[in-house]
Amino acid sequence: MEIFLQQLVNGVVLGSIYALVALGYTLVYGIMGLINFAHGDVVMLGAMVTLAVVHLLSGSGLPGPMVAAIGVLAAIPACMMTGFLIERIAYRPLRSAPRLAPLITAIGVSMLLQNLAMMVWGREYLSFPQLLPAATYPIGGASISFIQIIIIVSSSLMMAGLSYLVKKTRLGNAMRATSQNPEVSALLGVNVNSIISVTFIIGSALAAVAGMMVSAYYGIAHYDMGFILGLKAFTAAVLGGIGNIEGAMVGGLLLGVIESMGAGYLGTLTGGAMGSNYQDVFAFFVLIVVLIFRPSGLLGERIGERP
Amino acid sequence: MNLLEISDLHVSYDGIKAVRGIDLSLEEGEIVSLIGANGAGKSTTLKAVCGITPVHSGSILFEGEDIRSIPPHMLVKRGISLVPEGRGLFGRSTVEENLKMGAYSRRDKGIADDLEKIYALFPRLLERRSQAAGTLSGGEQQMVSLGRALMARPRLLFLDEPSMGLAPIMVQKIFEIIRTVASTGMTILLVEQNAKIALSMSQRGYVMESGKITLSDASSALLENPQVKAAYLGQ
Repeated sequence: MEIFLQQLVNGVVLGSIYALVALGYTLVYGIMGLINFAHGDVVMLGAMVTLAVVHLLSGSGLPGPMVAAIGVLAAIPACMMTGFLIERIAYRPLRSAPRLAPLITAIGVSMLLQNLAMMVWGREYLSFPQLLPAATYPIGGASISFIQIIIIVSSSLMMAGLSYLVKKTRLGNAMRATSQNPEVSALLGVNVNSIISVTFIIGSALAAVAGMMVSAYYGIAHYDMGFILGLKAFTAAVLGGIGNIEGAMVGGLLLGVIESMGAGYLGTLTGGAMGSNYQDVFAFFVLIVVLIFRPSGLLGERIGERP
Repeated sequence: MNLLEISDLHVSYDGIKAVRGIDLSLEEGEIVSLIGANGAGKSTTLKAVCGITPVHSGSILFEGEDIRSIPPHMLVKRGISLVPEGRGLFGRSTVEENLKMGAYSRRDKGIADDLEKIYALFPRLLERRSQAAGTLSGGEQQMVSLGRALMARPRLLFLDEPSMGLAPIMVQKIFEIIRTVASTGMTILLVEQNAKIALSMSQRGYVMESGKITLSDASSALLENPQVKAAYLGQ
């Protein structure tokens, strides 16, 4: 039971990060039907910029949490700008091109970002210093650390904020309208180009925070960390139903918990044949099973709606 | 001065010369029909005026000003609204959300009042206000589309095939509402394949064939024109 509870806590933490990244995929897909494969690398950039700022402030004597906060506050605009530029330079010229073209371009942008990051920050694994108190708190036989609490709380707040933005604001109305019918939205006065830019900017801001979280949580950052993380988050978005905002949140949390449970129980379940290192296999296995029975994802309903 | 003045308009669409040099004008307060067969270039003409399909050559003057270089999202502020072919609703949003999107370009305080007016015009929509628009019947969807266009407080309203896909009784109902809207002094360009009903409620009409205007006359004269009778009225 303690293992279950502990893995649940770990899974929710991991899942919160997946959900933040998955939202970036799903927002862009919802608006323009594009899988932005470079999104995972924007997460990496968030981690790298945070780390660079942290190193810059290392001798300043400022308290750790403040250094972390300054780092992420620098990473957010850097990632927003990157997301904006990616759309403007790489995707916008291909707006009316066949769908394969922007997809290939997205993979190209992903490789470009990784290589740029490698040139700037090197090939080595960079360690992310311990900036937050290492305190842990007991909950029902398991324990939760300070950073885990921060991750869960701040990602929940961001997701609530995003839900409010999309459902209740003028900008959100325009985003939802554009995702359903860009041509008619334009006729009603929506500047579709700005809405697409804003969508990339919002997704990238979430990615920046997720990047900081994941590198602070695992204490490590690397130029290609965005690849597998991006793939997992994309999986989470598909699991929940790509294009659907609640779907990305649910899919992210679920994938995190499934993966974590897999890590906790695979050894026992298979009599030691498979260890926790098979957790990814387990996560993707669940994805395959879900897609067999619900091809449009758990909350999805729109696959096949777009041409 | 004409409210809308289109001269020698040429539009290519998917590599096809869909509109080949048409002249068309609307005076303030007029209801004008543009009739013709499927593929004659009627919808392309509307899309070109709204800035969705690029114009090859020719001029489009709205209140005397060339609007060809104005992006589509700025036209609604100037007073041009389109009820698109196939209705173009946001199917997963509610009826009310669809109607409110119609007022997206407005910043004034009158939006809530106008919403009430739309519900008065279409009591059926009030009953269905929180239902997803995609779940409504075809006629109800056409009401939402019309209501949404009116929410922008247009001065020039384009209606693209409002009768398409509707049962005859619904067509009557929709056109009754269009008549009501017209009676407020709205300028309307009505694009229809259903020539009879379009000509019966407009003052003037244009007939379009293969991208060209082949006839232009008072609607009453077009209804009696033997060519029109043979080709579009099934007589």
